[in-house]
Amino acid sequence: MAPEARTRPPVSYGGPLAVLLLVVLAVCLASFQSGSEIARRWVLLKRSIVSGTPAPAETFRFWFDPDYAVFLEAVAERTPAGASVAVLVPARPDAYLYLAVYRLAPRRVVDARWMGEASAVAVYRTEAGRGPEGEPIPHGTLRAR
Amino acid sequence: MTLPAAFTSVAAGVAAAGIAGWSIARFFTAGLTRRESAAWSLASGLLVHAIVLLAFLGSGTRPRAIGFLAADAVVVAVSLRIRRPRRGNPPLRGRRGPAEQFALLLLLAVAGAAIAIFAIEALSEPMWSTDFLAIWGLKGKIVFATVALPSRMFHDPALAWAHREYPLLVPLSLVALASFGAGWNDQALALLYPACELATLLALYGFLARRVSPVAGAGAAALASLCFFLYRAVNAGTAEVPFALGAVLAAGAALDFLDADSPAARARLAAAALFCASLKQEGSLFVLLLAAMVWWRARRSPARGRRAAALLLCIPPAVHWGLLYLLRGSQTRRDFDLTLFEPRRWLELPALFLLVATRMLGTEARQAIVPLAAIALYLLVTRRGIADPLLPVFAAQIFCYAVAFSVSSFDPLYAIEGAFRRITMTLFPAFTLVLCARIPYGVPGWAHQSSDPRRTPVPGERSGLPSREAAGPQGGGTRGNTRKWTES
Repeated sequence: MAPEARTRPPVSYGGPLAVLLLVVLAVCLASFQSGSEIARRWVLLKRSIVSGTPAPAETFRFWFDPDYAVFLEAVAERTPAGASVAVLVPARPDAYLYLAVYRLAPRRVVDARWMGEASAVAVYRTEAGRGPEGEPIPHGTLRAR
Repeated sequence: MTLPAAFTSVAAGVAAAGIAGWSIARFFTAGLTRRESAAWSLASGLLVHAIVLLAFLGSGTRPRAIGFLAADAVVVAVSLRIRRPRRGNPPLRGRRGPAEQFALLLLLAVAGAAIAIFAIEALSEPMWSTDFLAIWGLKGKIVFATVALPSRMFHDPALAWAHREYPLLVPLSLVALASFGAGWNDQALALLYPACELATLLALYGFLARRVSPVAGAGAAALASLCFFLYRAVNAGTAEVPFALGAVLAAGAALDFLDADSPAARARLAAAALFCASLKQEGSLFVLLLAAMVWWRARRSPARGRRAAALLLCIPPAVHWGLLYLLRGSQTRRDFDLTLFEPRRWLELPALFLLVATRMLGTEARQAIVPLAAIALYLLVTRRGIADPLLPVFAAQIFCYAVAFSVSSFDPLYAIEGAFRRITMTLFPAFTLVLCARIPYGVPGWAHQSSDPRRTPVPGERSGLPSREAAGPQGGGTRGNTRKWTES
């Protein structure tokens, strides 16, 4: 046997296997991403840079009801920043309430339980039967108290 | 203000935070790589800006860019007047073979592409996740609009679901960035999140390049960047992405401290602990578990006070909690039914824990069986690495999650479904330290024959623990393909 062959280190499969396992892990992690979603978001980003914030129907924020964005906008325009607003909105999904509280902040936004403490009551169209009558606004009513 | 202008303002805010943070971090990052210093600068800068913001709020002054820049200028000027501590030994550069160079470039290209994807995801629309709308963004918007920390944020029963007990660094950071001219533009403010991801990857790359090898560092950065369950649009606006940065910094600081005690290492421990605790409650848990690990591993250390130094990880969360308590008073934790810990209900706990453990080890683990098996096999076929002391910390953190789910006020299974993966994946970037510290030196020996192992550039004075890591090879390797340690 040639001397070079005698001194050659034993073949080890540990290194390639370790790298292969990391690649498997990386592929599993990367599978949470979808190419079409990236493409959609890239278009959305380009458009929003050119023409401003995307329309509610295009965003995840109002995925469940794009009209709700218009309603909240109308309530925000008609109530002062220091107001307390009761919102009567569907209980599900809970994003209805969270979006109202967030969009109308810093106003104090409460649900029906604290309606008596509010200086205005905003009723979304689907909840019209539950609230007091008020001034019509897009997709609902608003009553100042 | 147009969206590009808003992006520019927020980017300026991030850059200003980085510069202010650098002026603080320079005192404890001597001996680290520039990449690590950049990561520490961002984390420190977010803390500095939060403190400056609180000062503005305390004086009833609306914070503006000029105010932040003036405060930053003072911080930088004071910092530059103080002599920086002696730099540690610079990292030794081994020759890089073409295979190693290629691997490095490939891995960094993967990480760069992944950052770009997350940036597109995060910035393409206003932040929308429920946690942003109901917790982090809501608090930030209220603070920004009222120029105060109104007591109703902590006491209004109508906001009972807004987690009034949560730390405030994320909302305060968003307010600070909004103050740089963009106003409350919740699309532009999302820029904070790719910035945090970039800092996280720089910290991973820098730490492992310094302690193990550049390929190990680039591997960790690439692997962490591909964690799209964490780096995706739904997590923009929450505390998960910043906490991933905090966990990496804290884990790296703890490993450095174990390797060599020094004032700089201790300062990094304290800074990372404060950063983590200010972000999430899980952050406090993580640093307390790290403290336990440091204390345990330092028990045989001949250096006096070394075990006590583990307290540095405990003090910042305790001080932070105390300050938060003074601010918001006592808060009930609506997520947890703590009466389950009362003796009369102890008998209910085993069944609940069993339910949670079964769900975690059953459904959740089964859905991730391939990556979990890959991790397990990888740990089996590779040699121990310098980050292995972190393994029990991660295990303990997940065990604590299981306990927390067991005492959930809601259906434990519902809680697991909603949160378990998210909060577990937050730990993944720090976990890549464990994985990639085991990567063989340079590139695997079967790929080429060069790549010198690297000596640890110890940023401190005293020698480290009498551990295998401190005395011998800093990297991992595979069981069948180990290399001898040689100083170049």
